[in-house]
Amino acid sequence: MIGPDFPDVLGAAARGDEEAFGRLWHDLQPRLLRYFRVASAAVADDLASETWLGVVRGLDRFQGNEPAFRAWVFTIARHEVLDWRRRAARRVAEHQPPDGLADPAAPDDPAADAMERVATREALAMVATLPADQAEAIVLRVVAGLGVDRVAAIMGKRPGTVRVLTHRGLRRLAEHLGDGGRVRKVV
Amino acid sequence: MGPGDASSADMRRPPFDPLALDDDTVERLVTGDLPPAQVPPAYARVAQLLAAAAAAPSPGELAGQARVLAEFRAVTRGRRFATATFRPAPAPRRRRRTGLAVVVVAGALATGGVAGAATGHLPGPVREAARTVLGGAGGAAPATPIRPGPAPAAATHPAGAGDAGPHGSRPGVATSRGPGPSAGAPAPSPNLKGLCQAYAKAYAAGAGQGAAMEAPAFQALARAAGGEDKVSVYCEDLLPGDQRLKEPKDKDAGSSENTRNPGDPESPGGGTPGQGGPPPAPGGGDQNRPGRGL
Repeated sequence: MIGPDFPDVLGAAARGDEEAFGRLWHDLQPRLLRYFRVASAAVADDLASETWLGVVRGLDRFQGNEPAFRAWVFTIARHEVLDWRRRAARRVAEHQPPDGLADPAAPDDPAADAMERVATREALAMVATLPADQAEAIVLRVVAGLGVDRVAAIMGKRPGTVRVLTHRGLRRLAEHLGDGGRVRKVV
Repeated sequence: MGPGDASSADMRRPPFDPLALDDDTVERLVTGDLPPAQVPPAYARVAQLLAAAAAAPSPGELAGQARVLAEFRAVTRGRRFATATFRPAPAPRRRRRTGLAVVVVAGALATGGVAGAATGHLPGPVREAARTVLGGAGGAAPATPIRPGPAPAAATHPAGAGDAGPHGSRPGVATSRGPGPSAGAPAPSPNLKGLCQAYAKAYAAGAGQGAAMEAPAFQALARAAGGEDKVSVYCEDLLPGDQRLKEPKDKDAGSSENTRNPGDPESPGGGTPGQGGPPPAPGGGDQNRPGRGL
Protein backbone atom coordinates (compact mmCIF):
# COMPACT_ATOMS: atom_id res chain seq x y z
CA MET A 1 0.00 0.00 0.00
CA ILE A 2 1.18 3.46 -0.80
CA GLY A 3 -1.49 5.11 1.27
CA PRO A 4 -2.27 8.81 1.55
CA ASP A 5 0.48 9.71 -0.90
CA PHE A 6 -1.14 7.67 -3.59
CA PRO A 7 -2.89 10.44 -5.53
CA ASP A 8 0.31 12.42 -5.73
CA VAL A 9 2.37 9.41 -6.63
CA LEU A 10 -0.04 8.37 -9.33
CA GLY A 11 -0.23 11.87 -10.73
CA ALA A 12 3.51 12.21 -10.83
CA ALA A 13 3.91 8.83 -12.47
CA ALA A 14 1.34 9.75 -15.07
CA ARG A 15 3.42 12.80 -15.87
CA GLY A 16 6.44 10.65 -16.43
CA ASP A 17 8.09 10.85 -13.05
CA GLU A 18 10.22 7.74 -12.79
CA GLU A 19 10.60 7.75 -9.08
CA ALA A 20 6.87 7.89 -8.59
CA PHE A 21 6.38 5.12 -11.07
CA GLY A 22 9.02 3.17 -9.21
CA ARG A 23 6.94 3.38 -6.09
CA LEU A 24 3.91 1.98 -7.87
CA TRP A 25 6.02 -0.77 -9.28
CA HIS A 26 7.63 -1.56 -5.98
CA ASP A 27 4.26 -1.95 -4.35
CA LEU A 28 2.64 -4.09 -6.99
CA GLN A 29 5.36 -6.07 -8.71
CA PRO A 30 5.74 -8.71 -5.97
CA ARG A 31 1.99 -9.15 -5.87
CA LEU A 32 1.84 -9.50 -9.61
CA LEU A 33 4.62 -12.05 -9.65
CA ARG A 34 2.82 -14.12 -7.05
CA TYR A 35 -0.42 -13.93 -8.92
CA PHE A 36 1.32 -15.10 -12.05
CA ARG A 37 3.21 -17.71 -10.09
CA VAL A 38 -0.10 -19.31 -9.26
CA ALA A 39 -1.68 -18.77 -12.63
CA SER A 40 1.21 -19.75 -14.86
CA ALA A 41 4.44 -20.02 -12.99
CA ALA A 42 6.86 -20.59 -15.80
CA VAL A 43 6.24 -17.26 -17.46
CA ALA A 44 5.55 -15.09 -14.44
CA ASP A 45 8.31 -12.65 -15.28
CA ASP A 46 7.23 -12.22 -18.85
CA LEU A 47 3.65 -11.72 -17.89
CA ALA A 48 4.64 -9.16 -15.30
CA SER A 49 6.63 -7.25 -17.91
CA GLU A 50 3.73 -7.28 -20.30
CA THR A 51 1.42 -6.11 -17.58
CA TRP A 52 3.63 -3.18 -16.72
CA LEU A 53 3.83 -2.20 -20.30
CA GLY A 54 0.06 -2.06 -20.34
CA VAL A 55 0.08 -0.05 -17.14
CA VAL A 56 2.57 2.43 -18.51
CA ARG A 57 0.55 2.90 -21.64
CA GLY A 58 -2.67 3.47 -19.82
CA LEU A 59 -1.35 5.35 -16.84
CA ASP A 60 -2.25 8.82 -17.99
CA ARG A 61 -5.84 7.77 -18.61
CA PHE A 62 -6.39 6.00 -15.35
CA GLN A 63 -8.46 7.74 -12.73
CA GLY A 64 -9.25 6.40 -9.34
CA ASN A 65 -7.99 5.68 -5.86
CA GLU A 66 -5.44 3.13 -4.81
CA PRO A 67 -7.71 0.10 -4.59
CA ALA A 68 -9.13 0.98 -7.96
CA PHE A 69 -5.64 1.29 -9.36
CA ARG A 70 -4.68 -2.05 -7.96
CA ALA A 71 -7.77 -3.61 -9.42
CA TRP A 72 -7.01 -2.04 -12.76
CA VAL A 73 -3.47 -3.40 -12.74
CA PHE A 74 -4.74 -6.87 -11.92
CA THR A 75 -7.33 -6.63 -14.62
CA ILE A 76 -4.52 -6.08 -17.07
CA ALA A 77 -2.61 -8.91 -15.44
CA ARG A 78 -5.52 -11.26 -15.86
CA HIS A 79 -5.81 -10.42 -19.53
CA GLU A 80 -2.16 -11.24 -19.90
CA VAL A 81 -2.73 -14.62 -18.32
CA LEU A 82 -5.68 -15.37 -20.55
CA ASP A 83 -3.76 -14.30 -23.63
CA TRP A 84 -0.84 -16.41 -22.64
CA ARG A 85 -3.06 -19.42 -22.06
CA ARG A 86 -4.64 -19.01 -25.45
CA ARG A 87 -1.28 -18.84 -27.11
CA ALA A 88 0.01 -21.76 -25.08
CA ALA A 89 -3.05 -23.81 -25.88
CA ARG A 90 -2.48 -23.16 -29.53
CA ARG A 91 1.13 -24.24 -29.27
CA VAL A 92 0.21 -27.29 -27.28
CA ALA A 93 -2.50 -28.24 -29.70
CA GLU A 94 0.09 -28.16 -32.41
CA HIS A 95 2.96 -29.83 -30.68
CA GLN A 96 1.99 -31.85 -27.66
CA PRO A 97 -0.79 -33.74 -26.06
CA PRO A 98 -3.02 -31.21 -24.30
CA ASP A 99 -2.36 -32.41 -20.81
CA GLY A 100 1.23 -31.31 -21.13
CA LEU A 101 -0.10 -27.92 -20.11
CA ALA A 102 -2.01 -29.09 -17.14
CA ASP A 103 0.72 -28.28 -14.69
CA PRO A 104 0.69 -24.56 -14.27
CA ALA A 105 2.98 -24.46 -11.29
CA ALA A 106 6.62 -25.27 -11.52
CA PRO A 107 7.69 -25.22 -7.90
CA ASP A 108 11.11 -26.64 -8.54
CA ASP A 109 11.95 -24.06 -11.10
CA PRO A 110 15.32 -22.66 -9.97
CA ALA A 111 14.31 -19.24 -11.15
CA ALA A 112 11.33 -19.41 -8.87
CA ASP A 113 13.60 -20.43 -6.05
CA ALA A 114 15.54 -17.28 -6.46
CA MET A 115 12.47 -15.18 -6.72
CA GLU A 116 10.73 -15.92 -3.51
CA ARG A 117 11.26 -17.04 -0.03
CA VAL A 118 10.66 -20.72 0.36
CA ALA A 119 7.61 -20.37 2.53
CA THR A 120 6.01 -17.99 0.10
CA ARG A 121 6.86 -20.18 -2.83
CA GLU A 122 5.46 -23.27 -1.19
CA ALA A 123 2.34 -21.45 -0.15
CA LEU A 124 1.74 -20.27 -3.70
CA ALA A 125 2.44 -23.72 -5.06
CA MET A 126 -0.10 -25.07 -2.66
CA VAL A 127 -2.69 -22.55 -3.69
CA ALA A 128 -1.94 -23.41 -7.29
CA THR A 129 -3.14 -26.95 -6.70
CA LEU A 130 -6.67 -25.67 -6.16
CA PRO A 131 -9.16 -25.47 -8.98
CA ALA A 132 -8.17 -22.48 -11.03
CA ASP A 133 -10.99 -20.16 -10.08
CA GLN A 134 -10.63 -20.90 -6.40
CA ALA A 135 -6.92 -20.28 -6.59
CA GLU A 136 -7.45 -17.06 -8.45
CA ALA A 137 -10.05 -15.78 -6.03
CA ILE A 138 -7.77 -16.50 -3.10
CA VAL A 139 -4.72 -14.92 -4.65
CA LEU A 140 -6.58 -11.82 -5.68
CA ARG A 141 -7.97 -11.47 -2.21
CA VAL A 142 -4.91 -12.40 -0.19
CA VAL A 143 -1.99 -11.36 -2.32
CA ALA A 144 -3.44 -8.57 -4.37
CA GLY A 145 -5.31 -7.36 -1.33
CA LEU A 146 -8.53 -6.69 -3.20
CA GLY A 147 -12.03 -6.71 -1.80
CA VAL A 148 -14.72 -9.13 -2.84
CA ASP A 149 -16.42 -6.72 -5.20
CA ARG A 150 -13.26 -5.84 -7.05
CA VAL A 151 -12.23 -9.45 -7.34
CA ALA A 152 -15.67 -10.24 -8.66
CA ALA A 153 -15.35 -7.52 -11.28
CA ILE A 154 -11.93 -8.73 -12.32
CA MET A 155 -13.02 -12.35 -12.61
CA GLY A 156 -16.30 -11.49 -14.25
CA LYS A 157 -18.30 -13.20 -11.52
CA ARG A 158 -20.78 -12.15 -8.92
CA PRO A 159 -19.51 -11.23 -5.47
CA GLY A 160 -21.42 -14.13 -4.00
CA THR A 161 -19.62 -16.47 -6.31
CA VAL A 162 -16.28 -15.08 -5.29
CA ARG A 163 -17.20 -15.63 -1.67
CA VAL A 164 -18.10 -19.22 -2.36
CA LEU A 165 -14.93 -19.81 -4.35
CA THR A 166 -12.83 -18.34 -1.59
CA HIS A 167 -14.60 -20.35 1.03
CA ARG A 168 -14.23 -23.58 -0.88
CA GLY A 169 -10.63 -22.87 -1.64
CA LEU A 170 -9.78 -22.29 1.99
CA ARG A 171 -11.62 -25.35 3.01
CA ARG A 172 -9.84 -27.45 0.51
CA LEU A 173 -6.51 -26.07 1.63
CA ALA A 174 -7.37 -26.99 5.17
CA GLU A 175 -8.18 -30.49 4.05
CA HIS A 176 -4.90 -30.83 2.19
CA LEU A 177 -2.89 -29.40 5.01
CA GLY A 178 -4.77 -31.41 7.56
CA ASP A 179 -4.16 -34.82 6.16
CA GLY A 180 -0.72 -34.09 4.80
CA GLY A 181 0.39 -32.66 8.09
CA ARG A 182 2.58 -30.17 6.29
CA VAL A 183 2.55 -28.09 3.19
CA ARG A 184 3.02 -30.81 0.70
CA LYS A 185 5.46 -30.57 -2.05
CA VAL A 186 3.33 -30.43 -5.11
CA VAL A 187 4.29 -32.43 -8.15
CA MET B 1 -35.87 -33.16 4.74
CA GLY B 2 -38.09 -30.35 5.89
CA PRO B 3 -37.06 -26.89 6.76
CA GLY B 4 -36.91 -27.78 10.37
CA ASP B 5 -34.36 -30.46 9.67
CA ALA B 6 -32.21 -28.03 7.75
CA SER B 7 -32.03 -25.56 10.56
CA SER B 8 -31.30 -28.15 13.14
CA ALA B 9 -28.64 -29.51 10.83
CA ASP B 10 -27.11 -26.08 10.75
CA MET B 11 -27.12 -25.90 14.46
CA ARG B 12 -25.51 -29.27 14.79
CA ARG B 13 -22.98 -28.50 12.17
CA PRO B 14 -19.97 -27.21 14.09
CA PRO B 15 -19.37 -30.35 16.09
CA PHE B 16 -19.52 -32.48 12.99
CA ASP B 17 -17.68 -30.24 10.66
CA PRO B 18 -14.45 -28.89 12.03
CA LEU B 19 -13.82 -27.24 8.70
CA ALA B 20 -16.92 -25.08 8.82
CA LEU B 21 -16.25 -21.41 8.32
CA ASP B 22 -18.55 -18.46 8.59
CA ASP B 23 -18.27 -15.53 6.22
CA ASP B 24 -16.76 -13.25 8.77
CA THR B 25 -14.02 -15.71 9.60
CA VAL B 26 -13.30 -16.20 5.92
CA GLU B 27 -13.03 -12.49 5.46
CA ARG B 28 -10.70 -12.08 8.37
CA LEU B 29 -8.57 -15.03 7.36
CA VAL B 30 -8.21 -13.65 3.91
CA THR B 31 -7.32 -10.17 5.04
CA GLY B 32 -4.96 -11.42 7.70
CA ASP B 33 -7.09 -9.80 10.31
CA LEU B 34 -7.60 -12.80 12.50
CA PRO B 35 -5.46 -13.11 15.64
CA PRO B 36 -3.92 -16.59 15.85
CA ALA B 37 -5.93 -17.34 18.96
CA GLN B 38 -9.15 -16.85 17.05
CA VAL B 39 -8.21 -18.96 14.07
CA PRO B 40 -10.25 -22.15 14.02
CA PRO B 41 -7.85 -24.97 14.84
CA ALA B 42 -8.45 -26.70 11.54
CA TYR B 43 -7.35 -23.53 9.76
CA ALA B 44 -4.20 -22.80 11.69
CA ARG B 45 -2.03 -24.03 8.87
CA VAL B 46 -4.14 -22.30 6.31
CA ALA B 47 -3.65 -19.05 8.16
CA GLN B 48 0.10 -19.61 8.11
CA LEU B 49 -0.01 -20.42 4.45
CA LEU B 50 -1.95 -17.29 3.62
CA ALA B 51 0.46 -15.24 5.67
CA ALA B 52 3.35 -16.73 3.74
CA ALA B 53 1.61 -16.03 0.45
CA ALA B 54 1.26 -12.40 1.44
CA ALA B 55 4.65 -12.06 3.10
CA ALA B 56 6.89 -9.08 2.53
CA PRO B 57 8.60 -9.09 -0.83
CA SER B 58 11.94 -10.75 -1.23
CA PRO B 59 14.77 -8.94 -2.98
CA GLY B 60 14.43 -11.29 -5.89
CA GLU B 61 10.91 -10.14 -6.50
CA LEU B 62 12.11 -6.59 -6.71
CA ALA B 63 14.87 -7.22 -9.16
CA GLY B 64 14.33 -5.89 -12.60
CA GLN B 65 13.17 -2.43 -11.68
CA ALA B 66 15.73 -0.89 -13.99
CA ARG B 67 14.29 -2.70 -16.94
CA VAL B 68 10.78 -1.62 -16.22
CA LEU B 69 11.89 1.95 -15.71
CA ALA B 70 13.61 1.86 -19.07
CA GLU B 71 10.37 0.80 -20.66
CA PHE B 72 8.55 3.46 -18.74
CA ARG B 73 10.98 6.05 -19.99
CA ALA B 74 10.65 4.93 -23.57
CA VAL B 75 6.88 4.92 -23.52
CA THR B 76 6.42 8.18 -21.68
CA ARG B 77 8.89 9.97 -23.88
CA GLY B 78 7.06 8.87 -26.92
CA ARG B 79 3.81 9.94 -25.40
CA ARG B 80 4.86 13.22 -23.96
CA PHE B 81 4.62 15.10 -27.19
CA ALA B 82 1.10 13.88 -27.56
CA THR B 83 0.14 14.63 -24.03
CA ALA B 84 1.62 18.09 -24.05
CA THR B 85 0.19 19.12 -27.34
CA PHE B 86 -3.14 17.49 -27.69
CA ARG B 87 -4.26 16.13 -24.41
CA PRO B 88 -3.26 18.28 -21.52
CA ALA B 89 -6.40 17.55 -19.58
CA PRO B 90 -5.47 14.25 -17.95
CA ALA B 91 -2.23 15.67 -16.62
CA PRO B 92 -3.17 19.04 -15.25
CA ARG B 93 -0.55 19.13 -12.56
CA ARG B 94 2.60 19.66 -14.50
CA ARG B 95 5.39 21.33 -12.79
CA ARG B 96 5.92 24.90 -13.62
CA ARG B 97 8.58 24.49 -16.21
CA THR B 98 6.76 21.86 -18.15
CA GLY B 99 3.59 23.85 -17.99
CA LEU B 100 5.43 26.75 -19.42
CA ALA B 101 6.76 24.70 -22.23
CA VAL B 102 3.33 23.38 -23.03
CA VAL B 103 1.92 26.83 -23.28
CA VAL B 104 4.79 28.08 -25.33
CA VAL B 105 4.75 25.17 -27.64
CA ALA B 106 1.02 25.31 -28.07
CA GLY B 107 1.51 28.89 -29.05
CA ALA B 108 4.25 28.03 -31.42
CA LEU B 109 2.20 25.38 -33.06
CA ALA B 110 -0.80 27.56 -33.28
CA THR B 111 0.99 30.44 -34.82
CA GLY B 112 3.16 28.17 -36.86
CA GLY B 113 4.63 29.94 -39.77
CA VAL B 114 3.59 33.34 -38.63
CA ALA B 115 6.71 33.15 -36.69
CA GLY B 116 7.67 36.18 -34.73
CA ALA B 117 4.26 37.75 -34.53
CA ALA B 118 2.65 35.93 -31.67
CA THR B 119 5.62 34.43 -29.93
CA GLY B 120 7.22 37.74 -29.37
CA HIS B 121 10.70 38.84 -29.97
CA LEU B 122 13.71 37.34 -28.45
CA PRO B 123 16.40 39.84 -27.88
CA GLY B 124 19.67 39.67 -29.73
CA PRO B 125 21.10 36.37 -30.79
CA VAL B 126 23.81 34.95 -28.68
CA ARG B 127 24.79 32.39 -31.12
CA GLU B 128 28.27 31.71 -29.89
CA ALA B 129 27.20 31.50 -26.31
CA ALA B 130 24.42 29.18 -27.19
CA ARG B 131 26.74 26.94 -29.09
CA THR B 132 29.07 26.78 -26.19
CA VAL B 133 26.45 26.13 -23.63
CA LEU B 134 24.59 23.64 -25.68
CA GLY B 135 27.70 21.80 -26.68
CA GLY B 136 26.89 22.34 -30.28
CA ALA B 137 30.51 22.84 -31.09
CA GLY B 138 31.23 19.15 -30.83
CA GLY B 139 28.39 17.83 -32.89
CA ALA B 140 28.28 19.97 -35.93
CA ALA B 141 25.08 20.00 -37.84
CA PRO B 142 25.46 17.74 -40.85
CA ALA B 143 25.97 14.57 -38.86
CA THR B 144 22.47 13.33 -39.40
CA PRO B 145 20.23 14.10 -42.31
CA ILE B 146 17.52 16.49 -41.42
CA ARG B 147 14.23 15.61 -42.91
CA PRO B 148 12.11 18.68 -42.85
CA GLY B 149 8.67 17.79 -43.96
CA PRO B 150 7.72 14.31 -42.90
CA ALA B 151 9.45 14.21 -39.57
CA PRO B 152 7.10 16.35 -37.55
CA ALA B 153 4.08 14.83 -39.14
CA ALA B 154 5.24 11.40 -38.17
CA ALA B 155 6.00 12.63 -34.73
CA THR B 156 2.49 13.78 -34.20
CA HIS B 157 0.84 10.60 -35.29
CA PRO B 158 1.07 8.74 -32.06
CA ALA B 159 -0.69 11.64 -30.54
CA GLY B 160 -3.72 11.27 -32.69
CA ALA B 161 -3.93 7.58 -32.24
CA GLY B 162 -5.97 6.57 -29.28
CA ASP B 163 -6.86 10.08 -28.38
CA ALA B 164 -10.56 10.32 -28.04
CA GLY B 165 -10.52 13.41 -25.94
CA PRO B 166 -12.68 16.20 -27.22
CA HIS B 167 -10.34 18.45 -25.33
CA GLY B 168 -7.70 17.87 -27.90
CA SER B 169 -8.83 20.73 -30.00
CA ARG B 170 -5.53 20.28 -31.75
CA PRO B 171 -4.63 23.86 -32.22
CA GLY B 172 -3.82 24.08 -35.86
CA VAL B 173 -1.80 20.99 -35.55
CA ALA B 174 1.05 19.88 -37.68
CA THR B 175 -1.09 17.54 -39.66
CA SER B 176 -2.59 20.42 -41.48
CA ARG B 177 0.68 21.84 -42.53
CA GLY B 178 3.22 19.18 -41.88
CA PRO B 179 3.00 17.52 -45.25
CA GLY B 180 2.86 20.89 -46.88
CA PRO B 181 6.31 21.39 -48.29
CA SER B 182 7.38 18.87 -50.81
CA ALA B 183 9.92 16.39 -49.68
CA GLY B 184 12.80 18.08 -51.35
CA ALA B 185 11.98 21.52 -50.12
CA PRO B 186 14.99 23.07 -48.47
CA ALA B 187 12.95 25.09 -46.02
CA PRO B 188 11.94 23.15 -42.95
CA SER B 189 8.28 23.04 -42.18
CA PRO B 190 6.87 25.92 -40.20
CA ASN B 191 5.94 23.47 -37.57
CA LEU B 192 9.52 22.71 -36.72
CA LYS B 193 10.29 26.34 -36.90
CA GLY B 194 7.62 27.00 -34.34
CA LEU B 195 9.08 24.33 -32.13
CA CYS B 196 12.48 25.90 -32.46
CA GLN B 197 11.05 29.21 -31.44
CA ALA B 198 9.43 27.62 -28.47
CA TYR B 199 12.62 25.85 -27.64
CA ALA B 200 14.52 29.09 -27.82
CA LYS B 201 12.06 30.71 -25.51
CA ALA B 202 12.08 27.94 -23.00
CA TYR B 203 15.81 27.98 -23.15
CA ALA B 204 15.97 31.71 -22.66
CA ALA B 205 13.48 31.49 -19.85
CA GLY B 206 16.20 29.93 -17.80
CA ALA B 207 15.80 26.32 -18.51
CA GLY B 208 18.95 25.58 -20.42
CA GLN B 209 19.22 22.65 -22.72
CA GLY B 210 18.65 19.82 -20.31
CA ALA B 211 15.52 21.26 -18.88
CA ALA B 212 14.24 22.56 -22.15
CA MET B 213 14.60 19.15 -23.68
CA GLU B 214 12.79 17.69 -20.79
CA ALA B 215 9.67 19.38 -22.00
CA PRO B 216 7.76 16.69 -23.80
CA ALA B 217 6.97 18.48 -26.98
CA PHE B 218 10.61 18.97 -27.78
CA GLN B 219 11.15 15.31 -28.20
CA ALA B 220 9.66 15.67 -31.64
CA LEU B 221 12.10 18.41 -32.32
CA ALA B 222 14.92 16.24 -31.09
CA ARG B 223 13.85 13.51 -33.46
CA ALA B 224 13.78 15.89 -36.34
CA ALA B 225 17.17 17.24 -35.41
CA GLY B 226 18.64 13.79 -35.02
CA GLY B 227 19.20 13.95 -31.31
CA GLU B 228 18.76 16.15 -28.32
CA ASP B 229 22.26 17.47 -28.53
CA LYS B 230 21.73 18.54 -32.09
CA VAL B 231 18.65 20.58 -31.50
CA SER B 232 20.51 23.77 -30.81
CA VAL B 233 22.49 23.60 -33.99
CA TYR B 234 19.45 22.57 -35.89
CA CYS B 235 17.45 25.50 -34.62
CA GLU B 236 20.31 27.85 -35.14
CA ASP B 237 20.09 27.14 -38.80
CA LEU B 238 16.38 27.42 -38.83
CA LEU B 239 15.54 30.58 -36.99
CA PRO B 240 15.94 34.16 -38.11
CA GLY B 241 18.77 35.91 -36.39
CA ASP B 242 16.75 37.68 -33.79
CA GLN B 243 15.10 34.55 -32.54
CA ARG B 244 18.05 32.33 -32.02
CA LEU B 245 18.96 30.70 -28.83
CA LYS B 246 20.11 32.96 -26.17
CA GLU B 247 21.58 32.44 -22.78
CA PRO B 248 19.28 31.59 -19.97
CA LYS B 249 18.95 34.58 -17.79
CA ASP B 250 16.59 33.35 -15.14
CA LYS B 251 19.13 31.01 -13.67
CA ASP B 252 17.58 30.48 -10.31
CA ALA B 253 14.25 29.51 -11.74
CA GLY B 254 15.85 27.00 -14.03
CA SER B 255 18.41 25.66 -11.67
CA SER B 256 16.04 23.09 -10.29
CA GLU B 257 17.47 20.81 -12.94
CA ASN B 258 16.00 17.41 -13.08
CA THR B 259 14.87 17.13 -9.57
CA ARG B 260 11.92 14.93 -10.22
CA ASN B 261 10.89 14.83 -6.65
CA PRO B 262 8.11 12.32 -6.24
CA GLY B 263 6.40 13.96 -3.39
CA ASP B 264 5.07 16.59 -5.65
CA PRO B 265 2.97 18.47 -3.18
CA GLU B 266 0.50 19.77 -5.64
CA SER B 267 -3.03 18.99 -4.76
CA PRO B 268 -4.83 16.43 -6.86
CA GLY B 269 -7.87 18.28 -7.91
CA GLY B 270 -6.16 21.49 -8.76
CA GLY B 271 -6.30 22.62 -12.29
CA THR B 272 -4.39 25.63 -11.13
CA PRO B 273 -2.83 26.83 -14.28
CA GLY B 274 0.82 27.08 -13.59
CA GLN B 275 2.12 27.37 -10.09
CA GLY B 276 2.93 31.00 -9.89
CA GLY B 277 2.37 31.27 -13.56
CA PRO B 278 5.01 31.04 -16.17
CA PRO B 279 6.79 34.35 -16.05
CA PRO B 280 8.03 34.44 -19.62
CA ALA B 281 5.98 33.67 -22.65
CA PRO B 282 4.73 37.21 -22.78
CA GLY B 283 1.51 37.58 -24.64
CA GLY B 284 1.56 34.17 -26.11
CA GLY B 285 1.03 32.51 -22.79
CA ASP B 286 -2.32 33.90 -21.95
CA GLN B 287 -3.95 33.64 -25.25
CA ASN B 288 -3.01 30.04 -25.56
CA ARG B 289 -3.93 28.88 -22.16
CA PRO B 290 -7.50 27.99 -23.04
CA GLY B 291 -6.06 25.54 -25.52
CA ARG B 292 -4.96 23.29 -22.69
CA GLY B 293 -8.49 22.23 -22.23
CA LEU B 294 -8.46 22.30 -18.50
